[in-house]
Amino acid sequence: MNENTYDVIVIGGGPAGLAAAVSARDAGAGVLLIEREARLGGILKQCIHDGFGLLRFGEKLSGPEYAEREIDELRKRNIPAKTLTFVTKIEKERGRFRVHAVSRDGVAVYETAALVLATGCRERTAKQVFIHGTRPSGIFTAGTAQHFTNLLGELPAKKCVILGSGDIGLIMARRLTLEGAQVLGVYEAKPTPSGLTRNLHQCLYDYDIPLYLSHTVTRVFGADRLEGVEIAEVDENMRPVEGTGRRVDCDALILSVGLIPENELAEGLGVEIDPKTKGPVCDGQCMTSVDGVFSCGNALHVNDLADYVSENAAAAGKAAAEYRRIGRKPARLNASEEFLYLVPQRLDLNRSNAGTTVYFRSRCDYNNARLVLSVDGKEVFSKRYAFLRPPEMERLELNFDALGLTERSDVRFTLELQGGKERAQ
Amino acid sequence: MDLRRINRKLKKQFGGRVSAALQDGCVVVSGALERWTDVVAACQTAAKKYSRTHVVNDIVCAEAVDAPMRLPAVNDDALEGASPDVLIIGGGISGASIARELTRWKLDILLVEKEPDVAMQASGRNDGEVHPGVDLGKGSLKHKYIRRGNHMFDKVCEDLNVEFRRVGQYVCFQDGWLRPVVYLYCLWRKYHDGIEDTELIGGEELRRREPYLDPGTKFAISNPSTGVVCPYGLTIAYAENAVENGAKVSLNTAVLGMELQDSKIVSVCTNRGTVFPRLVINAAGVFSEEIAKMAGDRFFSIHPRRGTNSILDKKAGAYLHSVASVINVKTQLRAHTKGGGVMRTAHGNLLAGPDAVETFEKENTETRPESIRVVFDKQKKTLTALSERDIITYFTGVRAPTFEEDFIIEQGRRTKNLIHCAGIQSPGLTTAPAVALDVAGMAVGLLSKEQAPEPNPQFNPVRRGVPTLRKMSDGERGALIRENPDYGVIVCRCEEVSKGEILDALRAPICVPTVDGVKKRVRPGMGRCQGGFCSPLVTKIIADFLGVPVSDVRKSSAASVITYGQTKGGEGGSAR
Repeated sequence: MNENTYDVIVIGGGPAGLAAAVSARDAGAGVLLIEREARLGGILKQCIHDGFGLLRFGEKLSGPEYAEREIDELRKRNIPAKTLTFVTKIEKERGRFRVHAVSRDGVAVYETAALVLATGCRERTAKQVFIHGTRPSGIFTAGTAQHFTNLLGELPAKKCVILGSGDIGLIMARRLTLEGAQVLGVYEAKPTPSGLTRNLHQCLYDYDIPLYLSHTVTRVFGADRLEGVEIAEVDENMRPVEGTGRRVDCDALILSVGLIPENELAEGLGVEIDPKTKGPVCDGQCMTSVDGVFSCGNALHVNDLADYVSENAAAAGKAAAEYRRIGRKPARLNASEEFLYLVPQRLDLNRSNAGTTVYFRSRCDYNNARLVLSVDGKEVFSKRYAFLRPPEMERLELNFDALGLTERSDVRFTLELQGGKERAQ
Repeated sequence: MDLRRINRKLKKQFGGRVSAALQDGCVVVSGALERWTDVVAACQTAAKKYSRTHVVNDIVCAEAVDAPMRLPAVNDDALEGASPDVLIIGGGISGASIARELTRWKLDILLVEKEPDVAMQASGRNDGEVHPGVDLGKGSLKHKYIRRGNHMFDKVCEDLNVEFRRVGQYVCFQDGWLRPVVYLYCLWRKYHDGIEDTELIGGEELRRREPYLDPGTKFAISNPSTGVVCPYGLTIAYAENAVENGAKVSLNTAVLGMELQDSKIVSVCTNRGTVFPRLVINAAGVFSEEIAKMAGDRFFSIHPRRGTNSILDKKAGAYLHSVASVINVKTQLRAHTKGGGVMRTAHGNLLAGPDAVETFEKENTETRPESIRVVFDKQKKTLTALSERDIITYFTGVRAPTFEEDFIIEQGRRTKNLIHCAGIQSPGLTTAPAVALDVAGMAVGLLSKEQAPEPNPQFNPVRRGVPTLRKMSDGERGALIRENPDYGVIVCRCEEVSKGEILDALRAPICVPTVDGVKKRVRPGMGRCQGGFCSPLVTKIIADFLGVPVSDVRKSSAASVITYGQTKGGEGGSAR
């Protein structure tokens, strides 16, 4: 065997990649991890707030501490990790993958039987939410502002407006306040907050930072540095209502308006993408539509907690290590309109689905909902939820093997709403 | 020039509030109107398309009070007392290409640009189409230069190390009955205008070449000589090559006034000192009328026209290989642009636009939602797959047309040591290489009256430029990384830009050590994440290169502060 040949190559050294590499190694595979940044840990490196690890480690850790624990596991197993190494292309050849990567050492080609794509996600930007006006400095995505503040120790704002109540936006509202900046408010186009309830309390309410729902930023002002933003109310379709615009003077606009799974490498391999998750369509083993290509973490779908990312990635890593080329026998998992999405989107009946974790989000806020799993119209499982909120991802462990599924089975998840659709505040 | 007829028309339109008079060979329109659109309409009434007798707009318009020209923050005497042979005002494609062509002679050339970089206005804010030369009236300067300019692109771009591709253009028609008429039009273009390669192709052939174009397209005019180039990339390349050959480029330098004596410019006052040039070239874009006025040679007027383009994700670039637009017979005939189109840019993105909106604001490049809506509503008829969801960014530029809608490329009419390269709008990018040769020739001719310049024996037309590693084979790339390991450190993931390329851009003949300056040269931040990941890294690389704190690095202008200093410890710790 060539020294550049592996059983599993994991691309991405954030929480997903680290967990995938460790579990693949534990399942007996020869593993290589490739990370484009200089240090492992991914975005956790800049998440210096706590709240990580409650599920995985049973204690509250900061992002860097959480990452350190995962990196320690990698080191214990002597899993090779190439940092500052960037994958430029992947070729598929006779059922194997040739991964081309550049680093300070030049261009290398690594070969593997199975690939785990743990490439994370990126942030939606100002113009991707159609903010118009000038092009001044002072407009940052929350993650960029976090990078400046936490990794470079540089203050990016003195008096700012935050658009979007996603978790990073809420975290940055608190972070910038602690650094002495004034946060004028968090504006959210949706009628409900996008972040976790705990973050609303710990990051906004505790600091008296106002949250304005059904409002958005439509325009920015300032020729050099940002001087102000125009804020408008939005209608039920989230379109700005004419005549409601007003100017708020500020020197920074921080955006937390959505995360998009990064799947350029996956798409290059011809992996089918789910328009709902914007991540690959996968089965219970996290295998995508392309044999031998696995996806996990935020590249698969955007998670709320790093703990879920690690859990899901560990499953993907193990499955990648155990991957053998056998035919697939797919069964679709259908989800009704009330679901924003459900992952995995299908099962491979040629493999065990005895302990499959299903992740889902509801489309709206629901109170008193009953989740029903039916096979060919017959209810086989149900669970009650006092409330379901889109920002809070739910997970279920199900034994699909007990259901006697075939490729023709109509497997369907529905949400029965007793209390009707309700808007929570 | 039938002045009586013009005044009759003006009276009918505006009830005697404006009138036209012939003064010093120009049609001066004066009076008072409330709305800028009326001002434009009145001057258009007085103007004859492509005429050399220009309309000068002296109408007072209460609505149209433009903000004063934005001036650089710097005030020093860096240029005080300089006496260049040629002073070029304006660092757009015109000024930069003229500077480069002039370096073929042993001349002291100074180019001044008021912005912190070259290609900051129209030259950096257009779609980058290299036009084939259709729909231009014979006898116009646009027509005179366009075929020559188009032909020159292969060589110029090869020399200047700028990517250029002849991708072809399709003008699509959805009304089959128009085919015989358009066929005759094509023949006319071909034999009368010398556009040798224009031809008509059927819907089936079109869809074979471009499968995503609207299936309702019955036939199309194909213009294979149409190309795409990065417009600011070409401007920067011209300017850099000019500097490599001895020209001086002074950024953040605005012309504030001129002193004249005996119909000659004696001195030019700038925010960086007074300059004493032998010859001045006016390539000031939307401000070329102001420069002409300063030089005592105002014989034309500029009416700014804004246009907005949207850049879409490179994934959407797969929908199209060429430049395409759909013709709507009803609305087309009156418009001053072909109404935008869709194209795959030189960098592989899909681009949609531009629109065309009259404005009195020369420097207002704010984007507006309606511009994007208009373009997308129209262009979805060209390319069905076009979607706003794929937009990654958009930008507005302001064109600088005269009311005659033609270029002004001539010596001063009253002022002797002045050459105008004004009224440059579409297809000004295409014509630039040819226009630059002529303007340089004109300049040499004028200077020769005193003393003929000698050819510059050291002139090297080839610009080295920065290597683009993502386009190389593994072998080539590996070899370069062995020479310089920084080429192996990817900073911008979307556009695959290495630290080595960024440092090369900073060490280039014209160093613009800002986030935007680096972005325009080697593209970090141009991709789908729009700098979300790389902008802190690029900022840090620039800071390290300059040996300054991160907070000293700017996005673009001196006041475009990115960060305010260290949050803890260090100086500026208490940042408030």
